[in-house]
Amino acid sequence: MTGHASDRGLRSATPITNVLVLAVLVGVAIASPSLAIRAVALAVILGLAAWSGVSAGSFLRSLRFVLVFAVVLFVAQALSIREGVVWVDRVVRITDVGLLAGAAMALRFLVILASSFLFVSVVDPDRLAGALIRWGIPYRYGYLLILSLRFVPFFRRELRIVREAQAVRGLRPSIRSPRGIRQAIRYTFVPVLVSGLMRVESIALSMKGRCFGLYPRRTAPQPERFRAADAGALCCIGVLVGFAVIAAGKGWT
Amino acid sequence: MSSSSGAVVAKDLRIRYPDRDRPAIDGLSEVIAEGETVVITGPSGCGKSTLCRAVGGFIPELIPATVEGDIHIDDDSVWETDSARIAQRVGYVQQDPDAQICTLRVEREVAFGPENLRLSADEIRTRVDDGLRAVGIEHLRHRETTDLSGGEKQRLAIASILAMQPGILLLDEPTANLDPEGARSLFGLLRRLREDRGMTLVIVEHRVQPLLEMEPRLLVLDRGRLVERHARDHIMPRDVGDGPAPGAAATPGAAVVTVDRISYGYEARLFHDLSFDLRRGEILGVIGPNGGGKTTLLRLIAGMAKPDAGSIDRSAALGFVFQHPHHQIFERTVGKEIAIDAAERGPGEIERWLAEGRLSGLVGVPPLSLSLGEQRRLTLLTALRRRPDVLLLDEPFIGQDRRNVAWIVSRIRAHCARGGAVLLVSHDIPLLSVLADRLLFIDREPVLGTPNEVCEGLRAAGREAFHPAAWEDAR
Repeated sequence: MTGHASDRGLRSATPITNVLVLAVLVGVAIASPSLAIRAVALAVILGLAAWSGVSAGSFLRSLRFVLVFAVVLFVAQALSIREGVVWVDRVVRITDVGLLAGAAMALRFLVILASSFLFVSVVDPDRLAGALIRWGIPYRYGYLLILSLRFVPFFRRELRIVREAQAVRGLRPSIRSPRGIRQAIRYTFVPVLVSGLMRVESIALSMKGRCFGLYPRRTAPQPERFRAADAGALCCIGVLVGFAVIAAGKGWT
Repeated sequence: MSSSSGAVVAKDLRIRYPDRDRPAIDGLSEVIAEGETVVITGPSGCGKSTLCRAVGGFIPELIPATVEGDIHIDDDSVWETDSARIAQRVGYVQQDPDAQICTLRVEREVAFGPENLRLSADEIRTRVDDGLRAVGIEHLRHRETTDLSGGEKQRLAIASILAMQPGILLLDEPTANLDPEGARSLFGLLRRLREDRGMTLVIVEHRVQPLLEMEPRLLVLDRGRLVERHARDHIMPRDVGDGPAPGAAATPGAAVVTVDRISYGYEARLFHDLSFDLRRGEILGVIGPNGGGKTTLLRLIAGMAKPDAGSIDRSAALGFVFQHPHHQIFERTVGKEIAIDAAERGPGEIERWLAEGRLSGLVGVPPLSLSLGEQRRLTLLTALRRRPDVLLLDEPFIGQDRRNVAWIVSRIRAHCARGGAVLLVSHDIPLLSVLADRLLFIDREPVLGTPNEVCEGLRAAGREAFHPAAWEDAR
């Protein structure tokens, strides 16, 4: 199974390309000491997201907590480091070293989280599982990934329904006392767990009913073709790695 | 074409689950011939699903139980054959289509079984195309499974089973979660499968009437025993039961809920400028296609979500019974569950309520161990214990046998007779057409009126499945 005609950018690239893109971006964020390179990495992520059809609005909305936390990191670093040229020294002391350290930490955090979010947004888990299986990972583990993803929205929905059911009956479990905690567990997690177990039984019947596990190996989906999108993405991260190497050689910060 | 034939022979079958006193199947013997269509019905907990799961080879390999007797598929004993190998002859479609989807794309879901059989890529492609074509969802092949409607998911579940090319198709209440149009369309699909592929069809259903057009043989189970057999030429209307008699004409009182020009839904707009009121003593039935917003409407009225525009005025206490009883069951015993909802918690009071729900003697029993019918009665009782003015009921009849349906109907009518109002969401058009005072059809163009006005209007608009005649004239 491959990407679809309507997919573009990283969405149509192979899962291995996407894994490489993620690995390089995270590697650059962790290994490169250069602030400029991390800023370029962030720009590359935003560019790749736009190229892949991930709208800037939804991308930023999904990252809003990450952005807030990045700002907190920046401020905390800027206020806590007192060495360097002093820029402000009234109620608080802000130095150039503090600002640079704050920016470096915030950018590192942003690049790692944004690249991970981009990966999740553009990679079809079915295709990723297929790729993992082709790489030799036992198919049972490959399907664990897919099933886990099937269960995430399920549990979210079940939790909402159970909370609404509690509200309907005037139940407001409190966790301020051991008794309240016990009650909250019973009133919330037991119904969700029951739903989960029922779902697990249905999925198990469905998989067994279609011969899952009958043989040690199963037919793997066709290998995916290398496309122009793969070449584009690899060129992009190749350039980024090149800059990072040059920056490291020249000692840029 | 199916790759295997399809004869089932059950001989003195007994199945007992580890935590149950009485057997789920008790001495059942039956022969289902190749190419036959058999409908299995009976009250809740009578063993219908257990029988399907046993024929599918899931008991006791996947579901622990003590088994006696034998089941043969063609010449092979189910007990002595790996369930995965049985799966190549018997396809099992469960009640909830969403719960049996294992992958994230339609095409991948249909390919899942053939891939497990280690078939060649070309053969898998052929089977995927064939399966999707057979159920009429070729156009959905690249869609994500989470984006499908209930009816589309049910078709996908059947397509993914057809790709295994079984000779026998077991369907466990396949229309339980489908709207009337989806259910009719499914029956048409099953007819085609039988005619084109000669498949053996075993269908578990509470509502037998719509299936009579397929001229099935009818088996009635009760307490795990086969109590009635009807040849396909001898099924009489009395064998499948009648709906409730029409109630006395309601005299509506003051409005207790007023919905004024509400709009809701961001990506897909569910309602736009929807207005109606619910009056004391009235039963307002809500019908419409899957995904049309019926449950959302109940949530809006209950205050669990807010409309994007318009307002809902509710000057009344609300009781809400959800579609799945286990979502509303919190306590460790039936008695404690009943005690949650009212100040009067004496043993006599609780016993009186339990007796009203035909749950006497179950005060110390864990509620989640009750049958689906008992759980449904318990959740309706707990809602009524709060003495609500308005009762919101979301698909209360799904999976319920005739006796339970009759009990639920009696409670609804009693509630209205005391001046309460009921908003009732259901796909059971024949039942609603006699039970409800008015019907609200929710779709792009909502329709509100008496059951006759709404159903006739829908029929005139080409939506015959929402007319009771489409279900009653099946024969």
